[in-house]
Amino acid sequence: MDPIPLIIIILPGLANIFYRVNIKLAGAVSASLTVALSLFLYTQLPLTGLFYIDRITWVFLVMVSSVYLLSTLYSWEYVNSIRNRGISQNNYYLLLNFFTASMFFSLVMNNYGFMWVGIEATTISSALLLVTEKSDVSLEATWRYIILVSAGVTFAFISVILIYYHFGTLDVYTILHSGGTASVVIKIAVAVALVGFGTKVGVFPVHTWLPDAHSEAPSPVSAMFSGVLLPVALYVLYRIYEISPFPQLYTWFAVISIAAASLFLAYQRKYKRMFAYSTMENMNLALFGFALGGAGVIGALLLLVSHSFGKAGAFYSSGNILKSSEKRDIAQIKGIWKGMPYTSSSLLLSSLAVTGTPPFGTFVGEFIILYAAVVTHAFLQFGIVLFFLMAAFISVNYNITGMIFRGSSDLKEPGKTMPIISLISSIIPLIIGVVIIGGFFNVLV
Amino acid sequence: MSPIDYAVFLIAAFATISGFYIQGQEYISSMVKGQLVQSSIIALISFILAYYEHSIDLLILGILIAFLRGFLITYFLDKRVPGRMTYVYESNVNVASLLLIDLAFIVVGIFIIYSIVFTSADLVTKFGPSSILVFPLSLFFQGLFLIGSRRSTFSQIIGYIEEENSLVLFALFLVPVPIIIEASVFLDVLALVVISSILVIEKFRHYPMEELRG
Repeated sequence: MDPIPLIIIILPGLANIFYRVNIKLAGAVSASLTVALSLFLYTQLPLTGLFYIDRITWVFLVMVSSVYLLSTLYSWEYVNSIRNRGISQNNYYLLLNFFTASMFFSLVMNNYGFMWVGIEATTISSALLLVTEKSDVSLEATWRYIILVSAGVTFAFISVILIYYHFGTLDVYTILHSGGTASVVIKIAVAVALVGFGTKVGVFPVHTWLPDAHSEAPSPVSAMFSGVLLPVALYVLYRIYEISPFPQLYTWFAVISIAAASLFLAYQRKYKRMFAYSTMENMNLALFGFALGGAGVIGALLLLVSHSFGKAGAFYSSGNILKSSEKRDIAQIKGIWKGMPYTSSSLLLSSLAVTGTPPFGTFVGEFIILYAAVVTHAFLQFGIVLFFLMAAFISVNYNITGMIFRGSSDLKEPGKTMPIISLISSIIPLIIGVVIIGGFFNVLV
Repeated sequence: MSPIDYAVFLIAAFATISGFYIQGQEYISSMVKGQLVQSSIIALISFILAYYEHSIDLLILGILIAFLRGFLITYFLDKRVPGRMTYVYESNVNVASLLLIDLAFIVVGIFIIYSIVFTSADLVTKFGPSSILVFPLSLFFQGLFLIGSRRSTFSQIIGYIEEENSLVLFALFLVPVPIIIEASVFLDVLALVVISSILVIEKFRHYPMEELRG
């Protein structure tokens, strides 16, 4: 057994040993180590046995560890300045570390049952993070998150039972290399998984927890939710989908979800909710790519990686604005570019990134997914998706440019590290896009 | 069918009846007791199957259900029920009409599953054809309906536990998943109930909020 995946799972938990000493610093050190180990793991691929890690898993591991590092660093100033705390600072870092460990667990385990357990554990470990900034609204959002996601994910366990019924094993590697199956039982399992894990991914109409949880969570946690939690659930869903692809069902659900998210985006009044719906749109676009297969999978991975940093940047920027203004409405934020140059830049870059503007990495991902749709003759889906992607682009960027450039305000940057981390996170999707477009695509893939 | 098969059918039917009992309650403590009975019924089925199949795994599963669901979860929920009577009574609930809607929901849901899904999928349970799965499925729909139809945190937690109970029953009749997975699932659910019971103190009832609209 290769010890590195085990160390990656354990490291965030190990940081919790320093609960009473300096859990903040321990969390940052563990996050840095998980980034280094995740990158190093590429040389050991593929891994099978207790863990199943191929190149796709590796992409997700790097994504989770990187956003974990950024969120931990961002939390230093952010959590410190919260006045009405629902949980203590130390408990916040403790839960953040467990939350990350449960995501790593879901990703690397070579067993569908344990993947389900990991996804459920992400709900348990992250639920109380939502009440870090305590209010009646955040308590309600937390409850909706717990009950809707748990009730939804319960469906997914039916898939796990059906998979075990058919194969007599839950070993991911063995099942995926068993040569495929046309069994109706497995088709049902794949379909039920869409409802079950789809709840966590944000598939319409079981997405309703998503905007509430994202808007009420502290910004670094929103960044983790949007940037990596939903992709981890999507990864597990994809691993089930791979057993016996059901493209008609998955692509149409993804297309309908993109359309719904785009329509919801059009009338949002709060910027964090707007970004939450943008996440729903991006996750379903990635699901569309995975369901199309072939180049669509590469496009989905590129989209997810770029989106994770872009959306983290968007939520960090939102956190800066919220700290500075204490206002959540788009209409109440005007002309922040003078007083908040770093936040304005990161907000603009991240909103362009999450809406798939060239030359960001998200654009490359979206382009490849749409190309895959054309190649597989999914012309109707292609047309619908393209239309709603443009609608979402207009909705998000119209509001964001208004917040940055329209009018004037005397808002100032809320701290030193928060704006810088927002900016770093927002620039990464641009770098990814430029590097890929610049010709490094073949080397990476 | 052997007499033992009939016995399991009968006991499983009681699990469904316990679901109706929970749905028909307005007092939280009665619902918690209903959950205790339901979990005990499922533990009993596991013990019976363990005895006749000589399965240690099913015996452990039965013990886990009895201890984690029957005892610990009931203990956590019971401890959180406030002492004052006004708090434990879920007002504005028309139990009679909810029971009727619940019944209709279950009948329609199961009809769809059997007529569309199970006709093409050749599912063979330990008790022959898939007819025995009607009990876990009806329990699953009851859990979902309880979550959807009630406003109090307690009722929704119990609805969620009902859903989880139905999955245990479903696996028991179809194919019990490895005990290590089942045990992890039980611990997950227990942890979730503990977390939820913390929230119960802060927020007892749930209503639509303007801030979370749209």
